[in-house]
Amino acid sequence: MGTVIEATATAKAQERSMSPGALEAVDSAARSCLDRAQRTAGDLDLLINAGVYHDKILSEPAFAALIQEDIGANLSQPPGAGHGTFSFDIYNGGCGVLTGIQLVDGMLASGTAELGMVVASDMDPEPGVSRGFGFPAVGGAVLLSADASRAGFTAFRFDTFPEFAELFQGYVDWQEDAGPGPDHHGRNILTVEIAESYTVRALECAESTVRELAAAQGLDLGAVDLLVATASVPGFADALASRLGMSAERVAPLPDDLAGAHTAAPVLALESVPLETSGTALLVSAGAGITVAAALYQA
Amino acid sequence: MQGSHPSENGEHWMALEGGADGSLGDGPFTSRFIGIGASVPERRLTSDELMASTEHQTDIDLERLTGVRERRVVAEGEDSYTLALDAARDALARAGLAGEDLDVLIVSSISRYVGGLRMQLEPPLSLSLKEALGAHRAMSFDLSNACAGMMTGVFILNDLIRQGRARVGMVVSGEYISQLGVNAAREIRTIQSDQLASLTLGDAGAAAILERAPEGAPGIEVAGFTTLAERSRLCLAFPAKVGAGVSMYSDARTLQEVGIEDTVPLLREALDQAGLGFDEIDYFIPHQTSARAIEKGVKEFSESMGGAPKHVVVTVDEFGNTSSTTHFVALWKYLREGRFAKDDRVMLLSIASGLEVGIVIFKVDQLLERYGHGH
Repeated sequence: MGTVIEATATAKAQERSMSPGALEAVDSAARSCLDRAQRTAGDLDLLINAGVYHDKILSEPAFAALIQEDIGANLSQPPGAGHGTFSFDIYNGGCGVLTGIQLVDGMLASGTAELGMVVASDMDPEPGVSRGFGFPAVGGAVLLSADASRAGFTAFRFDTFPEFAELFQGYVDWQEDAGPGPDHHGRNILTVEIAESYTVRALECAESTVRELAAAQGLDLGAVDLLVATASVPGFADALASRLGMSAERVAPLPDDLAGAHTAAPVLALESVPLETSGTALLVSAGAGITVAAALYQA
Repeated sequence: MQGSHPSENGEHWMALEGGADGSLGDGPFTSRFIGIGASVPERRLTSDELMASTEHQTDIDLERLTGVRERRVVAEGEDSYTLALDAARDALARAGLAGEDLDVLIVSSISRYVGGLRMQLEPPLSLSLKEALGAHRAMSFDLSNACAGMMTGVFILNDLIRQGRARVGMVVSGEYISQLGVNAAREIRTIQSDQLASLTLGDAGAAAILERAPEGAPGIEVAGFTTLAERSRLCLAFPAKVGAGVSMYSDARTLQEVGIEDTVPLLREALDQAGLGFDEIDYFIPHQTSARAIEKGVKEFSESMGGAPKHVVVTVDEFGNTSSTTHFVALWKYLREGRFAKDDRVMLLSIASGLEVGIVIFKVDQLLERYGHGH
């Protein structure tokens, strides 16, 4: 029994929308993903949001609960029938989607769930006020189920490299002199700081994790058909492929205008390739921490 | 699609995990709690003191209204991270383990304050905790699910242990949320305020360690969760406009009413799955929002179930609502005070913004001995 990807979808935030934001983008991606798999929201047992930078930087409730309500997934319990949806958020930076996939994989394997969706989106909550936020506004969704006839995800590995924790920071704090008007003496401001050395360190860490995973799984990297690699910075996948001795043709590309996408980046890359015919896929995400997540997927 | 939907195998709305009887899912193992740790700040703030600090005259008798006499609040140098770290160390000591023994580390704080009131979004708090605890092998991540955060972490960890994907793991949270009360005190004017619930909050850290139980040993019998998202916008919290930290706006009355009403069939579902009556629960630990809400909830649940639990745990009077840590602070207090007997069965019930409803039923068993009781 393997955990397989039934569908993926992405959506950009619409600037002309009445309510542009991370929520609108991820709602749209989630609906498209369900449509592509010919599923309904009511089929979902599990909904995990892995996005970090939400509208208003909401800390409660889980952003996933808002998404669940928006897409209409088992909103209230009808008497004596059906099944519900369980929603929550995870925070693991650029590794959030793969972390969510691993959690869904576990609950599918145990029979706790039969259909799970991992979603992610990021958007600057206060354009013009936030500092250092450079991620494009995009949302993504991955729909997962168990299939007895396919291998699907066969291995996961997560590593952390805390010596590089300072290289990628996202935080909100009170800035005393940042507010307009006489009634304001300050405001809470989002700051994102990515050091110049982050990319090269993320590559080193990712290479280390991939080689550990390959060794543990007895995998010849030359036999990998597809590399899906993201780290919230442009050019990461090609550079990692080069370090791993893989050809650029095997890299799942990101659209140029979304090359620096954050938590939804793995979904964007998955969407760019025909995954069903891709043989052995290696998924690698790196993010703040530095944290690296790697997974093997047999299409 | 292969197989039948879980609901078709027993008609349940919640995502449910079984336990010792192996009746739900494919998990060959049972998980059990082996360490509950907590960290409560020394400093106490009474409701009278808090209400004396409001910017506007309110005439709200907060203690009478909510049953919260006092709450603990952080001192200089304490924050979400330090509370979580201290609780994690306490839990490890109770379990007789070191950080390197952990396969999984899940941090479930809503507040992610490090270094005062700086809310850290990236890297996750779990990264720093993992390093500080020496949990080098642990797969780590943060999750957020409002006041149901720790319970959600336990649900996930239980699933991983039951399948054999992990042997030992920790769920930990540090909640520095008294700042919401400070922000509410600046704006609140009447008892109708949508920030009233913020005045009940207190700071605390808590940690729970689960392990694979020896064959035949008791542990978690049923764990269940669901999100009734029709109610998702009844309580919203985000960075404050009036000062550092967060402000929370909630329709607390509606949340309480629908929370109780919607939970009744879910409670029945979990009890049915465990083959238990409500009166077979020795200690019932609900989410600690207010004494009145707990009293009302227990009354309605008991009437609907045709029986009442033997004991209802209330700690909101002395700790306030400590958000995601509330069940485990209560559990920790009762374990330390030697309130439980070895065979006691405990039910934890989470009703949180979302609307999240989570239930965990377990036997206390060997936990007693880890706190110097039960010999």
